[in-house]
Amino acid sequence: MRVLHIDNLSKHYGRIKAVERLSLEVEAGMAYGILGPNGSGKTTTLGMVLGITRPASGSFEWFEGRYGAGHRRHLGALLETPNFYPYLNAEKNLSLVAHIKGAPTHNLDELLELVNLRHRKTSRFSTYSLGMKQRLAIAAAMIGDPEVLILDEPTNGLDPQGIAEVRETIRRIAGTGKTIIMASHILDEVEKVCSHVGIIKNGQLLASGTVGAIISDDYLVELGAEDLSTLHKALLSHPGIKKAPIEEGLIIAHFDEKRSTAEINAWAFQQGITLSHLRPIRKSLEAEFLEITSN
Amino acid sequence: MLHLLQLEWKKFNSHTAFRLFILFYLLLLPSTLLVGLRFDELPPPLYSNDVFFMFPTVWEYLGYIGNWLCFFFFGFLSIIIVTNEYSYKTLRQNIITGMSRKSFFLGKLYFILAISLAATLYYALCGFLIGYLNTEAIYWHKVMQNADYIPRYFLMCMGYMSFGLFLGFMIRRTGLALFVYLTYVMFLELILRWGVHMQIIAHRSMHFYPMNAVEDLVSVPFLEMADEFISKYGFSIYLQPGEAAITVLVYSSLFLYLAYRRVAYSDL
Repeated sequence: MRVLHIDNLSKHYGRIKAVERLSLEVEAGMAYGILGPNGSGKTTTLGMVLGITRPASGSFEWFEGRYGAGHRRHLGALLETPNFYPYLNAEKNLSLVAHIKGAPTHNLDELLELVNLRHRKTSRFSTYSLGMKQRLAIAAAMIGDPEVLILDEPTNGLDPQGIAEVRETIRRIAGTGKTIIMASHILDEVEKVCSHVGIIKNGQLLASGTVGAIISDDYLVELGAEDLSTLHKALLSHPGIKKAPIEEGLIIAHFDEKRSTAEINAWAFQQGITLSHLRPIRKSLEAEFLEITSN
Repeated sequence: MLHLLQLEWKKFNSHTAFRLFILFYLLLLPSTLLVGLRFDELPPPLYSNDVFFMFPTVWEYLGYIGNWLCFFFFGFLSIIIVTNEYSYKTLRQNIITGMSRKSFFLGKLYFILAISLAATLYYALCGFLIGYLNTEAIYWHKVMQNADYIPRYFLMCMGYMSFGLFLGFMIRRTGLALFVYLTYVMFLELILRWGVHMQIIAHRSMHFYPMNAVEDLVSVPFLEMADEFISKYGFSIYLQPGEAAITVLVYSSLFLYLAYRRVAYSDL
């Protein structure tokens, strides 16, 4: 089943085009990542399909129109910050969400257990740390056993432990076969959680497909030597190399798989080249974008 | 409807300001009138403090106190039940969770209707009790002589609260909305009526302003000043109750309609 179909959706704020003729499709069972830098239109897009932002033009449809206007009750969503009534405790906040969804309240304790908040369920929401708030928001999104979970920057502002906990929770949920739509500006996060990805920049969808097809898993190493052109020539004849552009006096070698620096050093030595610089690098999202846009 | 009312109740029944405002109203409505016990002698035409507590005038005096209390407490309440939802971003969240914008608005509307109804019932209860205990000979027609104050009181509550709801949805920020509410009701409309309208045209159309009409539904009970006013300007200082009721209904419908448009058609 097609869970979400977006057709030429646009949103303008004055002269700024936040989202421009964006179209995409999400099938049931996918973990779809919307990847893009801050301000690229991810939240605006999700805001439109969740009914809180009015599109300037274009349309979208949930569940092939099966639930009509009540489609949001079949979604669980966490958009930007966790929003709850600060003077109410976790339990009351969740029961409010259940009330709106028309969902049963008997499994709220289980959900609090899932996000590891059961011991704090009677504390007011305002006393929670950011990580706890975020986890409560995930629990709230799970109420009523929604078919689709929508998460916008779910690890934003969390400390490393919080990030690990939230990612683990999402992976567990994705493992149950639910459809997940996640927006993030962190490549690593999308890679770890999602099966499909759409790249969005300046409100436009640049690419969409499976994670493997979109995000290259090249292993990148920065290399330098006295005689750069000899090194470059030798590298291009290396069997594992895909490409090796020269940037700012260093060669960025794209290997097809992970190789240890010792192995590369030994290879260069065999070629009679002494490396002056050897450093494995992680491809930045910017580099990924440059690559995608240049294709 | 019940589903939406339950939701509003869950949201606010443990909210501090909500509890305090309700408590203040419940305590102050009868107790302020009882302050009248301290005045043994009163200037004409009152002569005795009995009028405060007797049928049928108890309706007028208790109503006038309620007018101030509703203006403050329920006006404020109607603003914060909306602006809180904006500042906590829970309006967004309610919509994302599955509410329609229309039912969000209806929830607020039903809530102020329910509060107005409860406030009016309490007013009626206090009025009957105080009147019953302080009127020596109770004749039913005396009791009921001013009983039209009860529906007027309800309309007055709704008048203040629909204006508050309107400002809440339009302004969205608690402090600013409260400031505009107070400033408009206490100063701005008076300046508009007396400073602007009366200077341009001294006509009784100056009474047909939204908050003046709400006030005139349950007005100041000292009427002799009004007689002076009539001889000076040639028209009454108050709207007739019927006129006030229709004016309030028209303005309230307009305020509620505009508030609905705002929540239904804007980005949240």
